[in-house]
Amino acid sequence: MKRYVYINDDDSTKDLYCDNRISNRKYTIVNFLPKNLWEQFSRFMNQYFLLIACLQLWSLITPVNPASTWGPLIFIFAVSATKEAWDDYNRYLSDKKANEKEVWVLRHGIKKHIQAQDIHVGNLVWLCENDEVPCDLVLIGTSDPQGLCYVETAALDGETDLKTRGVIECPSPDKDIRRFDANLRLFPPFIDNDICSLTIKNTLLQSCYLRNTEWACGVAVYTGNETKLGMSRGVPEPKLTAVDAMIDKLTGAIFVFQLVVVIVLGIAGDVWKETEAIKRWYVKYPPEGQWYELLIIPLRFELLCSIMIPISIKVSLDLVKSLYAKFIDWDIEMYDPESGTSSHAANTAISEDLGQVEYILTDKTGTLTENRMIFRRCCISGISYGNESGDAIKDVDLQNAVSTSSPDVIRFLSIMAICNTVVPTKSKSGTISYKAQSQDEDALVNAAANLHMALVSKSGNMIEINYNGSSVQYELLDTLEFTSDRKRMSVVVRDCQNGKVILMSKGADEAILPYSDPGQHTKIFSEAVEQYAQLGLRTLCLAWRELMEDEYREWSLMFKEANSTLVDREWRLAEVCQRLEHNLEILGVTAIEDRLQDGVPETIEMLRKAGVYFWMLTGDKQNTAIQIALSCNLISPEPKGQLLLIDGKTEDEVFRSLERVLLTMRITTSEPKDVAFVVDGWALEIALKHHRKAFTELAILSRTAICCRVTPSQKAQLVELLKSCDYKTLAIGDGGNDVRMIQQADIGVGISGREGLQAARAADYSIGKFRFLKRLILVHGHYSYNRTAFLSQYSFYKSLLICFIQILFSFISGVSGASLFNSVSLMAYNVFYTSIPVMVSVLDKDLSEKTVMQHPQILFYCHAGRLLNPSTFAGWFGRSLFHAIVVFVISMHAYSYEKSEMEEVAMVALSGCIWLQAFVVALETNSFTILQHLAIWGNLAAFYIINWILSALPASGMYTIMFRLCRQPAYWLTMLLIVAAGIGPVLALKYFRYTYTPSKINILQQAERLGGPILSLGNIEPQSRSFEKEVSSLSITLPKSRNSVYEPLLLDSPNSTGRSLGTVTPFDFLQSSSRLSSIYSRDYKTN
Amino acid sequence: MAGSSSAVAGSTAPGRNPNRPKYSKFSQQELPACQPILTPKLVITAFTIIGIIFIPIGIASLSASQDVVEISNRYETECIPEGYRSTKDDKIQFIQNPQSNKNCTRTLTVPKHMKQPIYVYYQLDNFYQNHRRYVKSKSDKQLRSPGSESDTSDCKPENNANGMPIVPCGLIAWSLFNDTYSFTRNNYVSLTVNKTGISWKSDREHKFGKGVYPKNFQSGGLIGGGSLVSSIPLSEQEDLMVWMRTAAMPTFRKLYGKIEFDLQANDVIEVSLKNNYNVYSFNGKKRIVLSTANWIGGKNDFLGVAYITVGGICFFLALCFTALYLKKPSRLQDPSYLTWNTNPGPL
Repeated sequence: MKRYVYINDDDSTKDLYCDNRISNRKYTIVNFLPKNLWEQFSRFMNQYFLLIACLQLWSLITPVNPASTWGPLIFIFAVSATKEAWDDYNRYLSDKKANEKEVWVLRHGIKKHIQAQDIHVGNLVWLCENDEVPCDLVLIGTSDPQGLCYVETAALDGETDLKTRGVIECPSPDKDIRRFDANLRLFPPFIDNDICSLTIKNTLLQSCYLRNTEWACGVAVYTGNETKLGMSRGVPEPKLTAVDAMIDKLTGAIFVFQLVVVIVLGIAGDVWKETEAIKRWYVKYPPEGQWYELLIIPLRFELLCSIMIPISIKVSLDLVKSLYAKFIDWDIEMYDPESGTSSHAANTAISEDLGQVEYILTDKTGTLTENRMIFRRCCISGISYGNESGDAIKDVDLQNAVSTSSPDVIRFLSIMAICNTVVPTKSKSGTISYKAQSQDEDALVNAAANLHMALVSKSGNMIEINYNGSSVQYELLDTLEFTSDRKRMSVVVRDCQNGKVILMSKGADEAILPYSDPGQHTKIFSEAVEQYAQLGLRTLCLAWRELMEDEYREWSLMFKEANSTLVDREWRLAEVCQRLEHNLEILGVTAIEDRLQDGVPETIEMLRKAGVYFWMLTGDKQNTAIQIALSCNLISPEPKGQLLLIDGKTEDEVFRSLERVLLTMRITTSEPKDVAFVVDGWALEIALKHHRKAFTELAILSRTAICCRVTPSQKAQLVELLKSCDYKTLAIGDGGNDVRMIQQADIGVGISGREGLQAARAADYSIGKFRFLKRLILVHGHYSYNRTAFLSQYSFYKSLLICFIQILFSFISGVSGASLFNSVSLMAYNVFYTSIPVMVSVLDKDLSEKTVMQHPQILFYCHAGRLLNPSTFAGWFGRSLFHAIVVFVISMHAYSYEKSEMEEVAMVALSGCIWLQAFVVALETNSFTILQHLAIWGNLAAFYIINWILSALPASGMYTIMFRLCRQPAYWLTMLLIVAAGIGPVLALKYFRYTYTPSKINILQQAERLGGPILSLGNIEPQSRSFEKEVSSLSITLPKSRNSVYEPLLLDSPNSTGRSLGTVTPFDFLQSSSRLSSIYSRDYKTN
Repeated sequence: MAGSSSAVAGSTAPGRNPNRPKYSKFSQQELPACQPILTPKLVITAFTIIGIIFIPIGIASLSASQDVVEISNRYETECIPEGYRSTKDDKIQFIQNPQSNKNCTRTLTVPKHMKQPIYVYYQLDNFYQNHRRYVKSKSDKQLRSPGSESDTSDCKPENNANGMPIVPCGLIAWSLFNDTYSFTRNNYVSLTVNKTGISWKSDREHKFGKGVYPKNFQSGGLIGGGSLVSSIPLSEQEDLMVWMRTAAMPTFRKLYGKIEFDLQANDVIEVSLKNNYNVYSFNGKKRIVLSTANWIGGKNDFLGVAYITVGGICFFLALCFTALYLKKPSRLQDPSYLTWNTNPGPL
């Protein structure tokens, strides 16, 4: 399907395509209620509650007033619906703002002001500086004489001329923001320019901002919800946390339990009715019942027991979870003053999963490192510069070579200055600043400028270089762009002094060296590459070739034709480029350094201590990846650590290698040794495709993995693989290539870094620096998990408590399904009395933040589901049964005989429950702030106040009850007795466990509160701190000036993705020989 | 990203940082908190204190309960003539026959001095006033206001008699207890039983309307319990009010009246009663109870015994914990090391 956009021709396209009205709304006013209700009722819990509420309308079976279920149900639905409506209203407002924004369009040669929503496909849109692009435009003119314009996220090349009549042939709307294969045809066709190809570079995409450009003009091609942005806007799948899953499971179990109770009591009730109740004349059972008579008692019990599943749990959880998220947003210690960003929890629902993370998959560039590139070393024609000082720019030899105009060095520097897509801009004061697409290019151009080869301007096709004060001009003929498959970029330029046509290339070693002139020895360069890689530097090879005029002209035609293909343009282009890039003369190798971010080694070490498995996924080369892994504590050097290599080019080789690694992993037992495996993208592809099972086993066994040269989709596949083994994965990254992995993982963390905010936007959490990850996981994850675990189990406890009392009461009320409590009390119990005090558990801390950070190992106990698992739940279940018996027996006996009045006994039992639950919350609270006291004891006071008010109303069923009770000493004695009898055993048991079988957390609590020093011995992951020395033995040369903070590191260069060239050999000591070594064995998770 | 090139990177504006989260103790989760832990001292002290408080309270409650003088006499079998006692059917036949002589005399001996007021209760056993069918079968509206006479939908099956609404409707009212008692002391002095003020004041004033008179009561096919004088408004029918305060347990006592006269030890009380109420169909029991009351209420040893038990157990626990603590000081005392298990077992 193609769409034809008739430029500036309202009649032809007006009705064909939608206008530019953006709508992100989920609902309209009309469909809000049905749609929202439908969505809410698609959840099982809500269906269940609705069924219960409907059954309650049948007065024959309802034990209580239907209001006691309908009230909370409507309340909860209203809360959810209001939240949805509010969100949708905000979306509507922002849509409206965007839609009603005034924009300039050109109509019949006149500039007109219209609202953004009235833009139609084919309109000419006029933008001024700092305007937001209202829809997807094809740029046709800018204020810049070179036809350039800058947008906030992208600088785009464009056509220079403003043409007003023509047609753009473009594909149907899709969401691929990297592709726009279209053609422009002008009317009347010009002789030489009938078809003009358009790429994504000619477009201005919606929601970008125009910068540094006075004006720009473009043709609307996609409007409204059909823009690239609009098409890629999808509602992400809601993520379910492990705790949620556990709660669902427990709810299911309670549901089954409830059915059993209902069936047993229902049958018992029917039997009692037939044998006993029939004799009781005062009950007056008719001798002949209805056909459904036998169902009535079971259904009554179903309704009576329906409160077992707490209706308020979802609302309570939603509320506290959004507060956890707020705590993350508010956290001042996760604020990055450097970039001015605070951390942000975009997904409020999954905080407690942070404490459950088992695997962290991390990107390297920009995540572990700063993504700030500095040119450090180079090797020109076999001579290395910068080895002494660690900084080639300051290398006297190089400076001398520059000043003596050594031809090789000149050519080398020219490529550094020319072969790129950097745009120089001259400020008014005359200084030149560069705007670069990639950090590497920026580093190279700046380095060249420092070496007196400055790129001065690019105007049109003319490039001006200032070399040692003299100006040199080049004409840019073609740019052979960088793609991740080609891993190199080239430019074709004409030297204006001698008219020679030159091809300049730069790229990854494996993308350049094989295409060198057969006569040239490349060994020296590959050795240099190897050496730099071992130092953790990113390398690029620079090469050039002089072209014959004829050769160029012939190729140029092919290139142009390939450039305007609509189908498979990228592939065609790559093929054409290949024809030019051969017989290159290798000039040298550059090495660029990127620094580790602050605190990265500490963070990784700490999280590894906590038992988290780290995988590094990078597009970088194997050696550099390993070096970085070493310097950031990801792997330990020999002899503590061992690296196993999986490689191979064919299926067989990979399989053998995989088997060997697996064997080593399997037979080694858990000695304190660090075993990691390294795999490259090519082998990974084969392993995932053909040996998935073996690779999965390996993934489970290995604590650490380094995957180099992997593509974005492979990153996502690895996440998927770990998820399929039921591990909790966290993916962290900063760039667009991490987005898929971030979205795929259970928790996606984005670093709002230099590569833009793309990853941060797609992520569940965005943080400013990698080092905040430890606080995010250890502090926020730990607390959130603790709090949710308590809150959810407590919700079940209190519901079960009241339900058990009802069940016990049924034994003394002729198993007839009568309710002890009245409707108002039941409703208020669930909605107010018990849900408020527990809410403040969001402030509870079992250990101080300091302790949590000092002992990351406690995270391990979150993994083990320490606080929320079937056995802890059984504890709460038993506690609610015990407390129900205590409350029931005591209140029934204390209020027996003449005091045995329904309303009074019910109120005694209810107040007993309220007292007990206040003390249970108090007992389970680890730290009391003023808010906790207020909520717990204030709630108790509120209970009495509410009931006094109810008792003062003559119309209420409870009239005077509470006043009567409060006057009786026996009532207060009963309360005291219930509390002592209910809490005493719980306290004794808790104390006994705490003192004689303390958990690690108990010991830490003790140490923290009593001020005793405590040492953590036997880390889950013992770490060597002396890697520095080991690293030096690995490196061929080590700069003397190197210090531990300023470690040279390699990052994924834009030229390194895909497959590796060959087996990397120098790491023989790392090879997965049959040497046995320890590993951390890990059992398969069985579910 | 497509053409992601130049750059408006994060503008680092030093000095003012609009994004910097505001500091507050709440938002940083740094509210001052007290973090109690279960030290042996704390727990042992707590249990000891509970013991110290509970045992005296228990003793006080128990002695209060012992001070209450209670005379209880079961009469449902004895008040049936010998000839009818043998089978259940005979008993039912006797009680349901309006012709039979239901008068009966019971003799009670006062064991101790009883201070007035002495409460007269009837006690029913195995009577389920809390049965769901029963407990719901009343209409509060109808009881309260004359205008809601026909509001009887909850009262089924005792809502209508001959097409007319019954006032008071429902099974509870219908099954009104109707045994009557009269007392003489030492064979000659008649003891007056004050039957006013036995119901709750709030019931008299608000729950049972002044203008509501019994209508069509006990006029249906089946006669349940007692009948009501139709000229007296419900707000003065105190027996009905007492009966309609349904009991939560199948064994319960309801106030019949008050004797406002001190009884001496060894006084002989003769109760003349009319044994009208049918508990024989379901093996129920009937008792007449005379009891004094004090701050704890009637005679009920439960609270006292429970307090002493709980207090005792707490003392015992405190002792045990102390012994354990002295014998084997807890490991918590020296928390200077902490080994983390590499493979923590299932926790």
